[in-house]
Amino acid sequence: MSLIIKDLYARVKDGAQILNGVSLEIPKGQVHAVMGPNGSGKSTLSKVLCGHPDYEVISGTAELDGQDLFSMSVDERSRAGLFLAFQYPVEVPGVSNANFMRAALQARLPKGEELDAVSFYKTMRSTMSKLGMDTKFTARAVNEGFSGGEKKRNDVLQMMMLEPTYAILDETDSGLDVDALRIVSDGVNAMRAPFRSFMIITHYKRLLDYIRPDVVHVLYKGKIVRTAGYELVEQIEQNGFDFLKTEE
Amino acid sequence: MSIEEAFALAEAEAKLEQALADNKTRFDNAVLPNRYNEDWRFGRPNKFAMALAETLQRNANCHGGASVQHAGDSAVPVALAANDDLRQTEMLMPTIGSDALLGLHLKRFGNGYALYIEEDTKEPIRLTYKTSGLYTPSTFIMVAPGVKAHVIEQYCGTGACTMFATRNIQVAEGAELMVELNADVDAGSYMVITNIQNMGGKVKHLTELRGEWVREETIAEIYTPDADVQLYSANRLAGNQVLDQHTRQIHHAGGSSSNLLYKNVVDDNATAIFAGNIYVAPAAHHTDAYQSNRNMLLSDKATIHSLPGLEILADKVRCSHGSASAPMDDEQLFYLCARGIPKHEAQLLVADGFLADATDKFRGNIQTT
Ligand SMILES: Nc1ncnc2c1ncn2[C@@H]1O[C@H](COP(=O)(O)OP(=O)(O)O)[C@@H](O)[C@H]1O
Ligand SMILES: [Mg+2]
Repeated sequence: MSLIIKDLYARVKDGAQILNGVSLEIPKGQVHAVMGPNGSGKSTLSKVLCGHPDYEVISGTAELDGQDLFSMSVDERSRAGLFLAFQYPVEVPGVSNANFMRAALQARLPKGEELDAVSFYKTMRSTMSKLGMDTKFTARAVNEGFSGGEKKRNDVLQMMMLEPTYAILDETDSGLDVDALRIVSDGVNAMRAPFRSFMIITHYKRLLDYIRPDVVHVLYKGKIVRTAGYELVEQIEQNGFDFLKTEE
Repeated sequence: MSIEEAFALAEAEAKLEQALADNKTRFDNAVLPNRYNEDWRFGRPNKFAMALAETLQRNANCHGGASVQHAGDSAVPVALAANDDLRQTEMLMPTIGSDALLGLHLKRFGNGYALYIEEDTKEPIRLTYKTSGLYTPSTFIMVAPGVKAHVIEQYCGTGACTMFATRNIQVAEGAELMVELNADVDAGSYMVITNIQNMGGKVKHLTELRGEWVREETIAEIYTPDADVQLYSANRLAGNQVLDQHTRQIHHAGGSSSNLLYKNVVDDNATAIFAGNIYVAPAAHHTDAYQSNRNMLLSDKATIHSLPGLEILADKVRCSHGSASAPMDDEQLFYLCARGIPKHEAQLLVADGFLADATDKFRGNIQTT
């Protein structure tokens, strides 16, 4: 069981081609890091996997436990176990965090079954306290007026509530202070399990020291150009991405 | 009776007679709604308002039921048929291009309630008006000095009914009134003229309106410094529905404040019209008055006419108006769907969230950062 991406080419709708043949396999239970210079297509890859309407798949496949991702709607992909913590979480005015999460969990229940409100609130509150979030955030509109760090934490809260089997974290560490970074990493580590995998997009070794990846990829100009172990992180930390240019 | 008393009574009677005469002239001179009238330009008067006028003129029977639900002794509801206050205030009511219709309303006068609220309300007072035919109810609300009150008016119409209501709201010094009008006339048409007179209190007014054709005229008059009026509206339109909203924030006194936020979610072939005006009288310096109309469009065929306006005759005022119409934000929708919420439900959440901005501000449960 794994997330398998094969020869994925994708472009901005009516625009530039961004992904130029991405191939990647993340087996269950593993943590993969994806690094790469700004503009490589990391966020595009994660959004294409979720079905963001700005992008168009040209060719290639993506399978989630054998299911064809690209034939599913955005919400179906989520219910099938895919999760993306966005680089820039969206503000949704007037929709409270609690209502949002309730609707998301309700959508996962069989038809006719009602979410138990009491246990829902209990879980939400305890998860928030694990993340060091004030419980008043339950009544606040989703991400509206949140600081950058609060938005990132809120996305991690959603991940912990929805318990996906494949979670992508897109630069979740940027905007987090040292303490928040540790809290969030603890949350992710607590979720690591043989039936769950993570794709962690980041520029920084700091996060990967907390959440040790099994495999590290470098995405460059819309293609995976390197795949190695943790030592690649150290190499990038010291020398940056210059090696990519000399190889060209 | 002393000479003075008799004199005062005679004077009052003369005044009333004069008012009646003035009104007769006012209505006789008024023309029924037509699209050449600026105040009726987009409201499709030919289809519904003319039908309303015709039905009223035919003097068809009034079919309506009024009921009131209140806890404690906070107000004394008075059935309106026997109430003179209402007739008098209604006679003096301003309209926004609907003098002729108001004249017809006065002539045939349905029923309704007068609420004299002299103690704080513990539970909201609920007034309900129901009909499946033609109904012309009236409401009169008076809040005594320093009293805090909450009133919920509900208008329910079934089938192709017609409702035409007037509301007079008077708020005394130091009083606080929250008043909401929830009207659902289904496949019918509905018109309401509301006149708020604020003598130094705080008024929060919310309308939530739904019907095949709905016209709202809300005129808030502010007479003293420190008086505050907040007007909110939150509506969802679909099918071929028409919502025609006209408002006036009239500042007679300086140092007073008003705010308006009208929001609509407009789907299918529906039409939302908003024409608002802030008037600041020449001596009403240091007035704060704001007005905002926001629409969310869910269909290419939906129509919005938004005409905010200002008429500022005083100096040193802070006034602004604005209007904006835009489709639902794709990023918001995507964000909800990306968490597993089916698209249709996500759309409802985003649309409700858009409207909640107005209803939350009305209820005062705004979460601040
Ligand atoms: N919606 C979009 N419209 C136009 N250009 C886009 C869009 N999304 C991404 N791009 C472009 O695609 C390239 C890759 O962007 P992105 O995936 O955000 O890179 P990364 O996350 O690796 O920094 C950039 O040049 C970016 O400007
Ligand atoms: Mg990015």
